[in-house]
Amino acid sequence: MFQFDLLSLVFVVLILLGVVPNIFYSYGYLPHIKRKWHYQIHYFSFILSMLGVVTSANAFAFLFFWELMSLTSWQLILTEVKDKTTTEAARFYFFMTHFGFVFILLFFLIVTDGNLDIDFKQMKNIAGAFAYPTLLFFFLILGFLSKAGAVPLHVWLPYAHPAAPSPVSALMSGVMLKIAIYGMFRLMFDVLYPWPLEWGVFILVIGSLSSLIGVLYALSEHDIKALLANHSIENIGIILIGFGMGMIFSTLHLEKLSSFAFLAALFHTFNHMSFKSLLFMGAGSLLHRTHTKDIESYGGLIKSMPVTAYTFLLASVSISALPPTNGFLSEWMIFQSMLGSSHIDNMSLKLAIPFAIFALALTSGLAIACFVKAYGITFLGLYRSANAKHAKEVNGMMQAGLIMISFVVVSLMLFAPLYIDYFDRVLQSLGAISVYNEIFPNGFWHMHSVAVNGGIVSPILLLLSLLIITGVLWYGYKVLNVKERIHRTWACGYRTGIRTQYSATGFAGPIRRFFNWLYRSEEHFEKKTVAGHTTKFDSSLYSVHVKPLFETFLYTNVTRLANWFSYWIYRLSHFEQTRYAAMIFNLMLLVLFSYRLFSHSFSWATFALESVVMIISIKVLIIGDKK
Amino acid sequence: MILYLLTIILLLLISPLLLTFIKALKMRLLFKRSLPLLQGYRTFAKLMQKETIISYEASKITRIAPFLVLSPLIVIMFFLPPIVKGAFYVSFVDAFTITGLLALSTFFLMLLGLDSASSFGGMGSSREAFISALVEPAMVLTIFSISMMAGDLGVGQAGVNLAHHFPKEHMASYLFAAISFFILLIAENGRIPVDNPETHLELTMVHEAMILDITGVYLALIEMAASVKFVIFASLFASLFMPFGLELPIIPAILIFILKLFLISATVAVIEVNTAKLRLFKVPNLLGIAIVFAFLSLISFYVLKG
Repeated sequence: MFQFDLLSLVFVVLILLGVVPNIFYSYGYLPHIKRKWHYQIHYFSFILSMLGVVTSANAFAFLFFWELMSLTSWQLILTEVKDKTTTEAARFYFFMTHFGFVFILLFFLIVTDGNLDIDFKQMKNIAGAFAYPTLLFFFLILGFLSKAGAVPLHVWLPYAHPAAPSPVSALMSGVMLKIAIYGMFRLMFDVLYPWPLEWGVFILVIGSLSSLIGVLYALSEHDIKALLANHSIENIGIILIGFGMGMIFSTLHLEKLSSFAFLAALFHTFNHMSFKSLLFMGAGSLLHRTHTKDIESYGGLIKSMPVTAYTFLLASVSISALPPTNGFLSEWMIFQSMLGSSHIDNMSLKLAIPFAIFALALTSGLAIACFVKAYGITFLGLYRSANAKHAKEVNGMMQAGLIMISFVVVSLMLFAPLYIDYFDRVLQSLGAISVYNEIFPNGFWHMHSVAVNGGIVSPILLLLSLLIITGVLWYGYKVLNVKERIHRTWACGYRTGIRTQYSATGFAGPIRRFFNWLYRSEEHFEKKTVAGHTTKFDSSLYSVHVKPLFETFLYTNVTRLANWFSYWIYRLSHFEQTRYAAMIFNLMLLVLFSYRLFSHSFSWATFALESVVMIISIKVLIIGDKK
Repeated sequence: MILYLLTIILLLLISPLLLTFIKALKMRLLFKRSLPLLQGYRTFAKLMQKETIISYEASKITRIAPFLVLSPLIVIMFFLPPIVKGAFYVSFVDAFTITGLLALSTFFLMLLGLDSASSFGGMGSSREAFISALVEPAMVLTIFSISMMAGDLGVGQAGVNLAHHFPKEHMASYLFAAISFFILLIAENGRIPVDNPETHLELTMVHEAMILDITGVYLALIEMAASVKFVIFASLFASLFMPFGLELPIIPAILIFILKLFLISATVAVIEVNTAKLRLFKVPNLLGIAIVFAFLSLISFYVLKG
């Protein structure tokens, strides 16, 4: 039923690192929640079910805990139902997670041959004998990536995460998405091992798209939790880029580079857990004290909420992949593994990978812009609403949670070699070769890339040199003993007020305008002019609404297609019993023919014959004569 | 080791001179009476004596950020390629770390812009965020390409390798990378046509808008950071794309290196005199050219290497 091998244990560690600070935070948050028992029961069974998924040894336990995880998190979203959007978000989440579950179930039904008790090693033989491994791969991808939130199955994240109570959104984004990554590691390595090249390329493409699209939508978002949820999509994309590179290298028998890329993916999984939990907790504190999620009504909170502000700053620097933080280290590793693509012999692949490098580099540039926006508008400047003016620091338990998770972030930065050693052993247990001694050949000071002539980074030296030089500069400043004067902001002589500050909409303006082909934003501009003047006005309102492209194109259009099709069937049937019977007859024909087609030998002659039979019977029996 | 430290100090010392030189050359080309070459040092000394005025609206970030804008750039100075033979150099630090440190400095500069609650600061930060986001991919690709040609990802080592073995067989890729890097030099340092460092017009300001409410020593630190950034880019360009003169004895080698820096500054000045500043929304086109050249450089390298 349960197993505790290294891969399971490393994810148990991940869950515990994310959960322990969260429990503290959660208890600080609890007085705010009305349905306390409902919350606590589901909260703890959610945590236990996540632990269950990563330690389960057979398909039955895996599916059971997976479903339990989905259901408890769905109930947690519904803890505080304030308005209709919460229930809608929960329903959307419920649908998406079960959409994925169906595919995982199908996958397991095929690879276990219906016997759900067998363990992963035995599944490998059955999967090896199955005629269509790519079908299994797609089941896996659809199942896990709909949970992880990769493009185009990411649409539920920006709805579900903001709707949940803050500790839960931290858990869902920080930890639950990683369970899907665990599923990828477990089943890709243990069940589907020899991978064709195309699978790796496919995952790499999905990863690059997710990272870019995630960060672009994050930039246009002004609900702080939805912004962070979009960043989860981006970071899952970065993890998948590492994973895809690992698969590509493994297929091409570049074992060292493959291990390095998988290490990078695993390291980024940990890093994303740490800083995303911290960011969601920080966002939760803001929401708790200001009662709004809208960035435009924050401002100046660094003065009233210092603990939240400085921990949020740490996480922002880390998620923007700036040195010497842990986010930088894992992104550096992913970049280095992509630079290892110069060892590939296949020319078309070699020329294609720079495009993924381009996508990742653009993503990291835009992530910096996005977090300057999120941090600057939220914490700096003047308060933008009365709520922000009267905000106070959160209570001790919540602060404890924030500080504990920032220790996790710092430990991932300072003790990166220890973590990497651990991840290396995990990968060894999965059959990859060990690269720890090549990453750290001369002690823990320098981190090497395993590619020939690869780069080197030395995180601790960087941190020390930054600290020393900043310290020297600061000491020089103190020695100068400069006089200081406090005065209101000059701003070229304009009066600085709450209304004249730059808003988040304005900050993202240039980028939104440049990527307008993606955003297709709708602008609303209203102003009340004074007595016919065009330039003098009492009030004006400008707002931009960005349409989520994937939602409109993929989801809304699929719904419309289904509606249209069912209406067509409805019109055909005319409520006549004979027509219903004819339809059922045709459906049975279709099922029988397709069963024969898929399970037995395929020949074009019978396929053509059957198609003709189908078409004639549909035409004669269902459509009938035109009236 | 002493030589290593001396070159760093030398580069730090001439950094204000280079920016003043650009300004003076531009004035001379426009038939104006040029300002003295020591103006940069004078301004610095004057700012050091002034009292600092801190915004009433500003937070602790205004007191922290100027140090964090300058210190990553000074850290980069330690990682640059050597300018004389036999000098110690940090061979291993790769270009991603350097881009990362540059981004760290820009990150705090942008926060500084938003801190004083003035609309100008926000405007500058927003524009800087836009430009630096688009600079990032071009930078990474150019660096990737040049490190392929040099055979090492470490910047210091790449400079030495290029000086010893000039990649004649990859001249096309080398030139493409050079063009791309020069555009990045202009964009990252906020020179015309991306940003005009001399105006204080709200339509055109980027860098100046962010630091509008910074005074005294803090302003001195930020100005220092701007000139150090220019020296970093200029000396990277000099070491990676003009890799000669490293074999000479110490004094001529240093002189030639400084000459190269002045040559790059003169080129920047000539470009500034002859072009108009681009509209903000035309800047991506320029950066797009840099990205395309970086791609071309990489692809032609791969294809020709076979």
